[in-house]
Amino acid sequence: MPVALIEVNGVSKRFGTVEAVSNLSVELSPGSIGLVGPNGSGKTTLIRLLLGLLSPDSGNLSVLGCDPQRDPLGVRGQVGYMPEHDCLSPDLSGIGFVAHMGRVSGLPKEVAISRAHDVLEFVGLAEERYRKIREYSVGMRQRVKLAQAIVHDPPLCFLDEPTAGLDPSGREEMLELLRALGRLPNHSFVLSTHLLHDADGLCDQVLMLDAGHCIASGPVRELIASHEGESVIRIQGDTDRFLASLLQHGLTPKPMDREIRVELAPGTTRAVFESAAEAGVQVRYLGRSVATIEGLFLARVELPVPEDPT
Amino acid sequence: MSISAPRYAAGPSARTGPASRILAIASREFFRRARAATLLSVALTFFVVVTSVVVTVIFASFLRAPTAGDFESVYESPVWPFLMLIVAASAGAGSLAEDVGDRSISLYLSRPIRLVDYVSAKTIACGSWLVIATVGPGLTAVAVTGALGYASASVLLAALLGFVATGFVAAIFFTGLALALSSLTNRALYSGVAIFGVILVLYIGGSVVAGITGNIYVPYANPIENIRSVAHGAFGVSGGTATDPASSALTLVGSGVVLWVFALWRMRRVEVVSE
Repeated sequence: MPVALIEVNGVSKRFGTVEAVSNLSVELSPGSIGLVGPNGSGKTTLIRLLLGLLSPDSGNLSVLGCDPQRDPLGVRGQVGYMPEHDCLSPDLSGIGFVAHMGRVSGLPKEVAISRAHDVLEFVGLAEERYRKIREYSVGMRQRVKLAQAIVHDPPLCFLDEPTAGLDPSGREEMLELLRALGRLPNHSFVLSTHLLHDADGLCDQVLMLDAGHCIASGPVRELIASHEGESVIRIQGDTDRFLASLLQHGLTPKPMDREIRVELAPGTTRAVFESAAEAGVQVRYLGRSVATIEGLFLARVELPVPEDPT
Repeated sequence: MSISAPRYAAGPSARTGPASRILAIASREFFRRARAATLLSVALTFFVVVTSVVVTVIFASFLRAPTAGDFESVYESPVWPFLMLIVAASAGAGSLAEDVGDRSISLYLSRPIRLVDYVSAKTIACGSWLVIATVGPGLTAVAVTGALGYASASVLLAALLGFVATGFVAAIFFTGLALALSSLTNRALYSGVAIFGVILVLYIGGSVVAGITGNIYVPYANPIENIRSVAHGAFGVSGGTATDPASSALTLVGSGVVLWVFALWRMRRVEVVSE
Protein backbone atom coordinates (compact mmCIF):
# COMPACT_ATOMS: atom_id res chain seq x y z
CA MET A 1 0.00 0.00 0.00
CA PRO A 2 1.72 3.21 -1.12
CA VAL A 3 1.96 6.09 1.35
CA ALA A 4 -0.65 8.76 0.62
CA LEU A 5 0.78 11.90 -0.94
CA ILE A 6 -2.36 13.89 -0.28
CA GLU A 7 -5.21 13.09 2.06
CA VAL A 8 -8.41 15.09 2.16
CA ASN A 9 -11.09 14.17 4.69
CA GLY A 10 -14.53 15.76 4.56
CA VAL A 11 -13.22 19.16 3.51
CA SER A 12 -15.64 21.95 2.69
CA LYS A 13 -14.88 25.56 1.81
CA ARG A 14 -17.45 28.22 1.22
CA PHE A 15 -17.04 31.77 -0.14
CA GLY A 16 -20.19 33.64 0.79
CA THR A 17 -23.02 31.71 -0.77
CA VAL A 18 -20.79 29.69 -3.07
CA GLU A 19 -19.57 26.32 -1.85
CA ALA A 20 -16.25 26.01 -3.69
CA VAL A 21 -15.39 22.63 -2.18
CA SER A 22 -18.10 20.42 -0.76
CA ASN A 23 -17.43 17.59 1.70
CA LEU A 24 -14.47 16.35 -0.30
CA SER A 25 -12.70 13.17 0.75
CA VAL A 26 -9.92 11.71 -1.34
CA GLU A 27 -6.56 9.99 -0.99
CA LEU A 28 -3.90 10.34 -3.66
CA SER A 29 -0.65 8.40 -3.98
CA PRO A 30 2.67 9.77 -5.27
CA GLY A 31 2.86 10.17 -9.03
CA SER A 32 1.39 12.39 -11.71
CA ILE A 33 -2.03 13.52 -10.58
CA GLY A 34 -4.61 15.24 -12.73
CA LEU A 35 -6.94 17.60 -10.91
CA VAL A 36 -9.56 18.12 -13.56
CA GLY A 37 -12.88 19.83 -13.83
CA PRO A 38 -14.52 22.79 -15.50
CA ASN A 39 -13.81 26.38 -14.52
CA GLY A 40 -15.24 27.11 -11.10
CA SER A 41 -15.23 23.48 -10.02
CA GLY A 42 -13.01 24.18 -7.01
CA LYS A 43 -9.60 23.13 -8.34
CA THR A 44 -7.72 26.29 -7.41
CA THR A 45 -9.47 26.48 -4.05
CA LEU A 46 -8.39 22.91 -3.31
CA ILE A 47 -4.78 23.73 -4.21
CA ARG A 48 -4.85 26.78 -1.97
CA LEU A 49 -6.30 24.68 0.83
CA LEU A 50 -3.51 22.14 0.33
CA LEU A 51 -0.92 24.93 0.44
CA GLY A 52 -2.41 26.26 3.67
CA LEU A 53 -3.25 29.58 2.04
CA LEU A 54 -6.91 29.01 2.93
CA SER A 55 -8.51 27.36 5.93
CA PRO A 56 -11.26 24.80 5.35
CA ASP A 57 -14.63 25.42 6.95
CA SER A 58 -14.66 21.75 7.96
CA GLY A 59 -12.56 18.64 7.52
CA ASN A 60 -8.81 18.19 7.47
CA LEU A 61 -6.02 17.77 4.95
CA SER A 62 -2.58 16.25 4.80
CA VAL A 63 0.17 16.89 2.26
CA LEU A 64 3.34 14.81 2.41
CA GLY A 65 2.39 13.91 5.96
CA CYS A 66 2.02 17.55 7.09
CA ASP A 67 -1.20 19.30 8.03
CA PRO A 68 -1.37 22.52 5.97
CA GLN A 69 -3.38 24.23 8.71
CA ARG A 70 -1.15 23.33 11.64
CA ASP A 71 2.16 23.36 9.78
CA PRO A 72 1.76 25.45 6.62
CA LEU A 73 5.47 26.21 6.42
CA GLY A 74 6.22 22.49 6.65
CA VAL A 75 4.04 21.90 3.60
CA ARG A 76 5.25 24.92 1.65
CA GLY A 77 8.86 23.98 2.27
CA GLN A 78 8.29 20.73 0.37
CA VAL A 79 6.13 21.87 -2.51
CA GLY A 80 6.36 24.06 -5.57
CA TYR A 81 3.47 26.12 -6.86
CA MET A 82 2.79 27.41 -10.34
CA PRO A 83 -0.24 29.68 -10.15
CA GLU A 84 -2.72 30.01 -12.95
CA HIS A 85 -2.60 33.78 -13.09
CA ASP A 86 0.25 35.99 -14.18
CA CYS A 87 2.36 36.65 -11.11
CA LEU A 88 5.80 37.55 -12.38
CA SER A 89 7.72 40.70 -11.54
CA PRO A 90 8.10 42.39 -14.92
CA ASP A 91 11.12 44.43 -13.90
CA LEU A 92 13.30 41.38 -13.20
CA SER A 93 15.18 39.19 -15.64
CA GLY A 94 14.15 35.55 -15.90
CA ILE A 95 17.30 34.40 -14.11
CA GLY A 96 16.93 37.08 -11.44
CA PHE A 97 13.34 36.15 -10.72
CA VAL A 98 13.86 32.39 -10.58
CA ALA A 99 16.98 32.75 -8.42
CA HIS A 100 15.09 35.11 -6.11
CA MET A 101 12.25 32.62 -5.70
CA GLY A 102 14.85 29.94 -5.02
CA ARG A 103 16.27 32.04 -2.21
CA VAL A 104 12.80 32.69 -0.82
CA SER A 105 12.28 28.91 -0.90
CA GLY A 106 15.30 28.51 1.34
CA LEU A 107 18.19 27.91 -1.04
CA PRO A 108 21.50 29.61 -0.29
CA LYS A 109 22.26 32.41 -2.75
CA GLU A 110 24.91 30.58 -4.81
CA VAL A 111 22.82 27.41 -4.99
CA ALA A 112 19.73 29.39 -5.98
CA ILE A 113 21.58 31.04 -8.86
CA SER A 114 23.03 27.74 -10.04
CA ARG A 115 19.64 26.02 -9.87
CA ALA A 116 17.97 28.93 -11.67
CA HIS A 117 20.34 28.43 -14.61
CA ASP A 118 19.58 24.70 -14.60
CA VAL A 119 15.81 25.00 -14.56
CA LEU A 120 15.71 27.81 -17.11
CA GLU A 121 17.73 25.62 -19.44
CA PHE A 122 15.29 22.79 -18.74
CA VAL A 123 12.27 24.91 -19.66
CA GLY A 124 14.00 26.15 -22.78
CA LEU A 125 14.80 29.71 -21.73
CA ALA A 126 18.57 29.46 -21.59
CA GLU A 127 18.99 32.05 -24.33
CA GLU A 128 16.46 34.49 -22.95
CA ARG A 129 17.26 34.22 -19.25
CA TYR A 130 18.86 37.67 -19.00
CA ARG A 131 15.97 39.47 -20.68
CA LYS A 132 13.43 41.34 -18.58
CA ILE A 133 10.26 39.38 -17.93
CA ARG A 134 8.20 42.22 -19.35
CA GLU A 135 9.69 41.36 -22.75
CA TYR A 136 8.61 37.70 -22.53
CA SER A 137 5.75 36.18 -24.53
CA VAL A 138 2.89 34.34 -22.80
CA GLY A 139 4.56 31.01 -23.47
CA MET A 140 7.87 32.20 -22.02
CA ARG A 141 6.11 33.54 -18.95
CA GLN A 142 4.47 30.16 -18.39
CA ARG A 143 7.89 28.54 -18.62
CA VAL A 144 9.32 30.97 -16.07
CA LYS A 145 6.41 30.18 -13.78
CA LEU A 146 7.20 26.49 -14.12
CA ALA A 147 10.90 27.16 -13.53
CA GLN A 148 10.29 29.07 -10.30
CA ALA A 149 8.02 26.25 -9.10
CA ILE A 150 10.74 23.61 -9.44
CA VAL A 151 13.89 25.64 -8.72
CA HIS A 152 14.13 24.27 -5.17
CA ASP A 153 13.56 20.70 -6.43
CA PRO A 154 10.39 20.04 -4.42
CA PRO A 155 9.06 16.48 -4.14
CA LEU A 156 5.58 17.76 -4.97
CA CYS A 157 4.57 20.49 -7.37
CA PHE A 158 1.14 22.07 -7.82
CA LEU A 159 0.66 23.25 -11.39
CA ASP A 160 -2.45 25.33 -11.84
CA GLU A 161 -3.52 25.47 -15.49
CA PRO A 162 0.04 25.41 -16.91
CA THR A 163 -1.19 25.37 -20.51
CA ALA A 164 -3.58 28.32 -20.12
CA GLY A 165 -3.20 30.87 -22.88
CA LEU A 166 -0.70 28.82 -24.89
CA ASP A 167 -0.97 28.17 -28.60
CA PRO A 168 -1.08 24.49 -29.70
CA SER A 169 2.68 24.15 -30.14
CA GLY A 170 3.36 25.96 -26.88
CA ARG A 171 0.86 23.74 -25.14
CA GLU A 172 2.47 20.59 -26.50
CA GLU A 173 5.90 21.83 -25.40
CA MET A 174 4.60 22.55 -21.91
CA LEU A 175 3.05 19.07 -21.71
CA GLU A 176 6.36 17.60 -22.84
CA LEU A 177 8.10 19.45 -19.99
CA LEU A 178 5.56 18.02 -17.57
CA ARG A 179 6.13 14.53 -18.94
CA ALA A 180 9.84 14.98 -18.28
CA LEU A 181 9.05 16.11 -14.75
CA GLY A 182 6.82 13.09 -14.29
CA ARG A 183 9.73 10.81 -15.14
CA LEU A 184 11.77 12.11 -12.21
CA PRO A 185 11.91 9.51 -9.43
CA ASN A 186 10.42 10.51 -6.07
CA HIS A 187 8.79 13.56 -7.61
CA SER A 188 5.08 14.10 -7.98
CA PHE A 189 2.94 16.81 -9.43
CA VAL A 190 -0.69 17.81 -9.31
CA LEU A 191 -1.79 19.15 -12.67
CA SER A 192 -4.90 21.28 -12.34
CA THR A 193 -6.62 21.84 -15.64
CA HIS A 194 -10.00 22.37 -17.20
CA LEU A 195 -8.55 21.10 -20.49
CA LEU A 196 -9.24 17.46 -19.77
CA HIS A 197 -7.26 16.14 -22.70
CA ASP A 198 -4.14 17.74 -21.18
CA ALA A 199 -4.33 15.18 -18.41
CA ASP A 200 -4.71 12.29 -20.84
CA GLY A 201 -1.49 10.36 -21.22
CA LEU A 202 0.22 12.58 -18.66
CA CYS A 203 -1.37 11.61 -15.37
CA ASP A 204 -1.49 8.22 -13.73
CA GLN A 205 -4.10 9.34 -11.17
CA VAL A 206 -6.98 11.70 -11.46
CA LEU A 207 -9.28 13.65 -9.19
CA MET A 208 -12.35 14.97 -10.99
CA LEU A 209 -14.24 17.88 -9.51
CA ASP A 210 -17.53 19.34 -10.52
CA ALA A 211 -19.13 22.19 -8.59
CA GLY A 212 -16.90 21.41 -5.63
CA HIS A 213 -17.86 17.72 -5.54
CA CYS A 214 -15.60 14.79 -6.29
CA ILE A 215 -17.13 12.85 -9.15
CA ALA A 216 -14.27 10.39 -9.58
CA SER A 217 -10.83 9.75 -8.19
CA GLY A 218 -8.18 7.09 -8.38
CA PRO A 219 -5.71 5.54 -10.81
CA VAL A 220 -6.60 6.51 -14.38
CA ARG A 221 -6.21 2.96 -15.69
CA GLU A 222 -8.64 1.56 -13.14
CA LEU A 223 -11.18 4.30 -13.70
CA ILE A 224 -11.05 3.92 -17.45
CA ALA A 225 -11.11 0.13 -17.28
CA SER A 226 -14.24 0.27 -15.17
CA HIS A 227 -15.96 2.18 -17.93
CA GLU A 228 -14.68 0.37 -20.98
CA GLY A 229 -17.20 -1.83 -22.73
CA GLU A 230 -20.10 -0.14 -21.01
CA SER A 231 -22.74 2.07 -22.47
CA VAL A 232 -24.07 5.14 -20.76
CA ILE A 233 -27.80 5.85 -20.71
CA ARG A 234 -29.42 9.03 -19.47
CA ILE A 235 -33.15 9.21 -19.29
CA GLN A 236 -35.95 11.48 -18.28
CA GLY A 237 -38.70 9.72 -16.36
CA ASP A 238 -39.14 7.00 -13.78
CA THR A 239 -35.72 5.41 -13.34
CA ASP A 240 -36.98 2.48 -11.26
CA ARG A 241 -39.49 1.42 -13.89
CA PHE A 242 -36.84 1.74 -16.58
CA LEU A 243 -34.37 -0.38 -14.58
CA ALA A 244 -37.03 -3.04 -14.06
CA SER A 245 -37.81 -3.03 -17.74
CA LEU A 246 -34.12 -3.39 -18.66
CA LEU A 247 -33.87 -6.39 -16.36
CA GLN A 248 -36.89 -7.94 -18.06
CA HIS A 249 -35.02 -7.62 -21.36
CA GLY A 250 -32.09 -9.57 -19.95
CA LEU A 251 -29.80 -6.62 -19.40
CA THR A 252 -27.89 -5.89 -16.16
CA PRO A 253 -28.09 -2.15 -15.58
CA LYS A 254 -25.90 -0.37 -13.01
CA PRO A 255 -27.61 2.78 -11.75
CA MET A 256 -25.12 5.60 -11.04
CA ASP A 257 -25.74 9.06 -9.63
CA ARG A 258 -27.10 10.65 -12.77
CA GLU A 259 -27.00 7.88 -15.32
CA ILE A 260 -27.35 4.18 -15.92
CA ARG A 261 -24.50 2.03 -17.14
CA VAL A 262 -25.12 -1.21 -18.94
CA GLU A 263 -23.07 -3.65 -20.96
CA LEU A 264 -24.67 -3.98 -24.37
CA ALA A 265 -23.81 -6.89 -26.57
CA PRO A 266 -23.92 -6.20 -30.31
CA GLY A 267 -27.51 -5.99 -31.49
CA THR A 268 -29.03 -5.37 -28.09
CA THR A 269 -29.29 -1.60 -28.38
CA ARG A 270 -32.87 -2.00 -29.52
CA ALA A 271 -33.70 -3.52 -26.11
CA VAL A 272 -32.86 -0.21 -24.45
CA PHE A 273 -35.40 1.69 -26.51
CA GLU A 274 -38.01 -1.02 -26.08
CA SER A 275 -37.45 -0.88 -22.31
CA ALA A 276 -37.78 2.88 -22.41
CA ALA A 277 -41.01 2.68 -24.35
CA GLU A 278 -42.44 0.13 -21.93
CA ALA A 279 -41.40 2.17 -18.88
CA GLY A 280 -42.68 5.39 -20.42
CA VAL A 281 -39.35 7.20 -20.12
CA GLN A 282 -37.42 9.25 -22.63
CA VAL A 283 -33.84 8.31 -23.56
CA ARG A 284 -31.84 11.52 -23.57
CA TYR A 285 -28.44 10.00 -24.16
CA LEU A 286 -27.09 6.64 -25.20
CA GLY A 287 -23.42 6.20 -25.99
CA ARG A 288 -20.33 4.13 -25.41
CA SER A 289 -18.05 5.11 -22.58
CA VAL A 290 -14.73 6.27 -24.00
CA ALA A 291 -11.32 5.43 -22.68
CA THR A 292 -10.04 8.93 -21.95
CA ILE A 293 -10.10 11.16 -18.92
CA GLU A 294 -12.23 13.57 -20.87
CA GLY A 295 -14.66 10.79 -21.77
CA LEU A 296 -14.66 9.60 -18.20
CA PHE A 297 -15.46 13.10 -16.99
CA LEU A 298 -18.25 13.56 -19.48
CA ALA A 299 -19.70 10.21 -18.50
CA ARG A 300 -19.67 11.24 -14.84
CA VAL A 301 -20.80 14.81 -14.99
CA GLU A 302 -24.43 15.78 -15.37
CA LEU A 303 -24.86 17.42 -18.74
CA PRO A 304 -27.48 20.11 -19.19
CA VAL A 305 -30.70 18.62 -20.55
CA PRO A 306 -31.95 20.50 -23.63
CA GLU A 307 -35.36 22.13 -23.46
CA ASP A 308 -38.17 19.97 -24.84
CA PRO A 309 -39.41 21.80 -27.94
CA THR A 310 -42.93 20.51 -27.32
CA MET B 1 10.33 16.52 -28.96
CA SER B 2 11.85 14.77 -25.98
CA ILE B 3 13.06 16.68 -22.98
CA SER B 4 15.29 15.38 -20.23
CA ALA B 5 14.43 16.07 -16.63
CA PRO B 6 16.35 18.98 -15.09
CA ARG B 7 19.80 18.20 -13.77
CA TYR B 8 21.10 20.34 -10.97
CA ALA B 9 24.78 21.24 -11.07
CA ALA B 10 24.50 22.21 -7.42
CA GLY B 11 23.59 19.12 -5.44
CA PRO B 12 21.18 18.88 -2.53
CA SER B 13 21.58 21.76 -0.14
CA ALA B 14 20.53 22.50 3.41
CA ARG B 15 17.71 25.02 3.51
CA THR B 16 18.31 28.44 4.97
CA GLY B 17 16.30 29.74 7.92
CA PRO B 18 13.46 32.27 7.90
CA ALA B 19 15.82 35.19 8.59
CA SER B 20 17.68 34.49 5.37
CA ARG B 21 14.42 34.28 3.38
CA ILE B 22 13.19 37.54 4.90
CA LEU B 23 16.49 39.16 4.01
CA ALA B 24 16.19 37.86 0.44
CA ILE B 25 12.79 39.53 0.05
CA ALA B 26 13.97 42.69 1.80
CA SER B 27 17.10 43.10 -0.32
CA ARG B 28 15.19 42.42 -3.52
CA GLU B 29 12.57 45.01 -2.49
CA PHE B 30 15.23 47.53 -1.50
CA PHE B 31 16.97 47.41 -4.87
CA ARG B 32 13.64 47.27 -6.68
CA ARG B 33 12.85 50.68 -5.15
CA ALA B 34 16.14 52.17 -6.31
CA ARG B 35 14.30 53.93 -9.10
CA ALA B 36 14.84 57.43 -10.40
CA ALA B 37 12.16 58.97 -8.18
CA THR B 38 13.56 57.42 -5.02
CA LEU B 39 17.18 58.15 -5.84
CA LEU B 40 16.41 61.73 -6.88
CA SER B 41 14.33 62.49 -3.80
CA VAL B 42 16.96 61.02 -1.49
CA ALA B 43 19.73 62.92 -3.29
CA LEU B 44 17.70 66.12 -3.07
CA THR B 45 17.17 65.53 0.65
CA PHE B 46 20.91 65.15 1.15
CA PHE B 47 21.56 68.34 -0.79
CA VAL B 48 18.89 70.38 1.01
CA VAL B 49 19.72 69.19 4.52
CA VAL B 50 23.49 69.41 4.19
CA THR B 51 23.38 72.82 2.52
CA SER B 52 20.82 74.20 4.96
CA VAL B 53 22.64 72.95 8.06
CA VAL B 54 26.11 73.97 6.93
CA VAL B 55 25.00 77.47 5.88
CA THR B 56 23.05 78.00 9.12
CA VAL B 57 25.95 76.86 11.28
CA ILE B 58 28.46 79.01 9.35
CA PHE B 59 26.28 82.11 9.73
CA ALA B 60 25.67 81.32 13.42
CA SER B 61 29.41 81.06 13.95
CA PHE B 62 29.79 84.71 12.90
CA LEU B 63 27.67 85.77 15.90
CA ARG B 64 28.47 83.13 18.53
CA ALA B 65 29.66 79.59 19.04
CA PRO B 66 27.23 77.28 17.17
CA THR B 67 24.98 75.06 19.28
CA ALA B 68 23.14 71.81 18.53
CA GLY B 69 20.02 73.89 18.06
CA ASP B 70 21.51 75.47 14.94
CA PHE B 71 21.52 72.03 13.30
CA GLU B 72 17.79 71.71 13.95
CA SER B 73 16.88 74.56 11.60
CA VAL B 74 16.19 72.17 8.73
CA TYR B 75 13.09 70.83 10.53
CA GLU B 76 11.60 74.33 10.75
CA SER B 77 11.17 74.49 6.99
CA PRO B 78 8.27 72.78 5.19
CA VAL B 79 10.76 71.54 2.59
CA TRP B 80 12.04 68.65 4.74
CA PRO B 81 8.58 67.10 5.40
CA PHE B 82 7.75 67.53 1.72
CA LEU B 83 10.91 65.66 0.72
CA MET B 84 10.07 62.91 3.22
CA LEU B 85 6.66 62.56 1.61
CA ILE B 86 8.30 62.08 -1.78
CA VAL B 87 10.71 59.48 -0.38
CA ALA B 88 7.91 57.65 1.45
CA ALA B 89 5.75 57.64 -1.67
CA SER B 90 8.52 56.47 -4.01
CA ALA B 91 10.03 53.88 -1.65
CA GLY B 92 6.93 52.59 0.10
CA ALA B 93 3.76 53.26 -1.87
CA GLY B 94 4.29 50.31 -4.19
CA SER B 95 5.88 47.86 -1.79
CA LEU B 96 2.69 45.92 -1.04
CA ALA B 97 0.43 47.38 -3.72
CA GLU B 98 2.57 46.23 -6.63
CA ASP B 99 2.84 42.66 -5.31
CA VAL B 100 -0.93 42.54 -4.94
CA GLY B 101 -1.36 44.15 -8.34
CA ASP B 102 0.90 41.73 -10.21
CA ARG B 103 -0.20 38.94 -7.83
CA SER B 104 3.34 37.90 -7.05
CA ILE B 105 2.22 37.85 -3.43
CA SER B 106 0.66 34.45 -4.05
CA LEU B 107 4.08 33.15 -5.07
CA TYR B 108 5.70 34.50 -1.92
CA LEU B 109 3.02 33.05 0.31
CA SER B 110 3.28 29.64 -1.38
CA ARG B 111 6.87 29.53 -0.09
CA PRO B 112 7.87 28.74 3.48
CA ILE B 113 7.17 32.33 4.43
CA ARG B 114 4.59 33.62 6.89
CA LEU B 115 2.62 36.73 6.06
CA VAL B 116 4.22 38.53 8.98
CA ASP B 117 7.66 37.62 7.59
CA TYR B 118 6.69 38.97 4.20
CA VAL B 119 5.39 42.26 5.60
CA SER B 120 8.45 42.51 7.84
CA ALA B 121 10.71 42.13 4.80
CA LYS B 122 8.83 44.92 3.04
CA THR B 123 9.13 47.02 6.20
CA ILE B 124 12.89 46.52 6.30
CA ALA B 125 13.23 47.62 2.67
CA CYS B 126 10.95 50.66 2.93
CA GLY B 127 12.32 51.58 6.36
CA SER B 128 15.89 51.39 5.07
CA TRP B 129 15.20 53.94 2.37
CA LEU B 130 13.49 56.22 4.88
CA VAL B 131 16.31 55.90 7.39
CA ILE B 132 18.77 56.75 4.64
CA ALA B 133 16.68 59.83 3.84
CA THR B 134 15.96 60.91 7.42
CA VAL B 135 19.23 60.09 9.19
CA GLY B 136 21.81 60.02 6.40
CA PRO B 137 21.72 63.70 5.42
CA GLY B 138 21.91 64.82 9.04
CA LEU B 139 24.95 62.66 9.69
CA THR B 140 26.55 63.95 6.50
CA ALA B 141 25.85 67.54 7.56
CA VAL B 142 27.44 66.87 10.95
CA ALA B 143 30.48 65.33 9.25
CA VAL B 144 30.86 68.27 6.83
CA THR B 145 30.43 70.86 9.58
CA GLY B 146 32.92 69.04 11.75
CA ALA B 147 35.39 68.80 8.86
CA LEU B 148 35.08 72.55 8.29
CA GLY B 149 35.75 73.13 11.98
CA TYR B 150 32.73 75.29 12.73
CA ALA B 151 31.47 73.36 15.75
CA SER B 152 32.97 71.71 18.79
CA ALA B 153 33.00 67.93 19.23
CA SER B 154 30.36 68.03 21.97
CA VAL B 155 28.01 70.08 19.76
CA LEU B 156 28.61 67.75 16.84
CA LEU B 157 27.85 64.72 19.03
CA ALA B 158 24.65 66.33 20.33
CA ALA B 159 23.60 67.20 16.77
CA LEU B 160 24.40 63.67 15.60
CA LEU B 161 22.21 62.17 18.33
CA GLY B 162 19.49 64.70 17.48
CA PHE B 163 19.48 63.70 13.83
CA VAL B 164 19.48 59.98 14.69
CA ALA B 165 16.63 60.30 17.19
CA THR B 166 14.46 62.54 15.02
CA GLY B 167 15.27 60.57 11.89
CA PHE B 168 14.39 57.18 13.34
CA VAL B 169 11.11 58.43 14.85
CA ALA B 170 10.14 60.02 11.51
CA ALA B 171 11.20 56.91 9.59
CA ILE B 172 9.06 54.64 11.78
CA PHE B 173 6.03 56.84 11.23
CA PHE B 174 6.45 57.25 7.48
CA THR B 175 7.21 53.53 7.01
CA GLY B 176 4.03 52.55 8.84
CA LEU B 177 2.03 55.11 6.87
CA ALA B 178 3.42 54.04 3.50
CA LEU B 179 2.81 50.33 4.15
CA ALA B 180 -0.69 50.90 5.51
CA LEU B 181 -1.74 52.92 2.48
CA SER B 182 0.06 50.54 0.13
CA SER B 183 -1.96 47.65 1.57
CA LEU B 184 -5.22 49.39 0.66
CA THR B 185 -4.82 49.30 -3.10
CA ASN B 186 -3.09 47.44 -5.90
CA ARG B 187 -1.88 50.63 -7.58
CA ALA B 188 1.28 52.33 -6.31
CA LEU B 189 0.09 55.62 -7.76
CA TYR B 190 -3.04 55.63 -5.60
CA SER B 191 -1.19 54.88 -2.40
CA GLY B 192 1.47 57.45 -3.30
CA VAL B 193 -1.14 60.14 -3.75
CA ALA B 194 -2.83 58.99 -0.54
CA ILE B 195 0.41 59.49 1.42
CA PHE B 196 0.45 63.15 0.37
CA GLY B 197 -3.29 63.48 0.90
CA VAL B 198 -3.33 62.06 4.42
CA ILE B 199 -0.42 64.20 5.61
CA LEU B 200 -1.78 67.38 4.01
CA VAL B 201 -5.23 66.81 5.51
CA LEU B 202 -3.74 66.20 8.95
CA TYR B 203 -1.39 69.18 8.60
CA ILE B 204 -3.96 71.69 7.39
CA GLY B 205 -6.91 70.20 9.25
CA GLY B 206 -4.95 69.94 12.50
CA SER B 207 -3.78 73.54 12.28
CA VAL B 208 -7.27 74.87 11.48
CA VAL B 209 -9.07 72.83 14.15
CA ALA B 210 -6.42 73.67 16.75
CA GLY B 211 -6.76 77.37 15.88
CA ILE B 212 -10.54 77.31 16.16
CA THR B 213 -10.97 75.12 19.22
CA GLY B 214 -7.75 75.93 21.07
CA ASN B 215 -7.63 72.32 22.18
CA ILE B 216 -4.08 71.49 23.22
CA TYR B 217 -4.35 67.86 22.07
CA VAL B 218 -5.37 68.55 18.48
CA PRO B 219 -1.80 69.41 17.32
CA TYR B 220 -0.84 65.82 18.15
CA ALA B 221 -2.89 64.81 15.14
CA ASN B 222 -0.47 66.75 12.94
CA PRO B 223 2.54 64.53 12.12
CA ILE B 224 4.61 67.46 10.82
CA GLU B 225 4.11 69.36 14.07
CA ASN B 226 5.00 66.20 15.99
CA ILE B 227 8.25 65.74 14.05
CA ARG B 228 9.15 69.38 14.62
CA SER B 229 8.48 68.94 18.30
CA VAL B 230 10.60 65.78 18.48
CA ALA B 231 13.40 67.64 16.70
CA HIS B 232 13.16 70.47 19.23
CA GLY B 233 13.47 67.97 22.05
CA ALA B 234 16.26 65.98 20.41
CA PHE B 235 18.38 69.04 19.61
CA GLY B 236 17.67 70.73 22.95
CA VAL B 237 15.69 73.64 21.53
CA SER B 238 13.20 74.87 24.10
CA GLY B 239 9.68 76.06 23.29
CA GLY B 240 8.29 76.99 19.89
CA THR B 241 6.07 73.96 19.44
CA ALA B 242 2.48 73.20 20.37
CA THR B 243 3.22 69.69 21.61
CA ASP B 244 5.44 67.99 24.16
CA PRO B 245 8.47 66.34 22.44
CA ALA B 246 8.26 63.06 24.35
CA SER B 247 4.51 62.78 23.77
CA SER B 248 4.99 63.63 20.11
CA ALA B 249 7.65 60.95 19.76
CA LEU B 250 5.35 58.45 21.42
CA THR B 251 2.50 59.52 19.13
CA LEU B 252 4.61 59.10 15.98
CA VAL B 253 6.12 55.75 16.97
CA GLY B 254 2.74 54.48 18.23
CA SER B 255 1.03 55.60 15.02
CA GLY B 256 3.72 53.91 12.94
CA VAL B 257 3.30 50.63 14.80
CA VAL B 258 -0.51 50.79 14.63
CA LEU B 259 -0.35 51.52 10.90
CA TRP B 260 2.03 48.58 10.42
CA VAL B 261 -0.36 46.27 12.26
CA PHE B 262 -3.16 47.63 10.09
CA ALA B 263 -1.12 46.79 6.96
CA LEU B 264 -0.61 43.25 8.23
CA TRP B 265 -4.31 42.84 8.99
CA ARG B 266 -5.21 44.29 5.64
CA MET B 267 -2.91 41.88 3.79
CA ARG B 268 -4.62 38.94 5.48
CA ARG B 269 -7.92 40.28 4.17
CA VAL B 270 -6.53 40.84 0.68
CA GLU B 271 -5.44 37.23 0.47
CA VAL B 272 -8.96 36.01 1.21
CA VAL B 273 -10.69 38.54 -1.02
CA SER B 274 -8.43 37.65 -3.95
CA GLU B 275 -10.09 34.25 -4.03
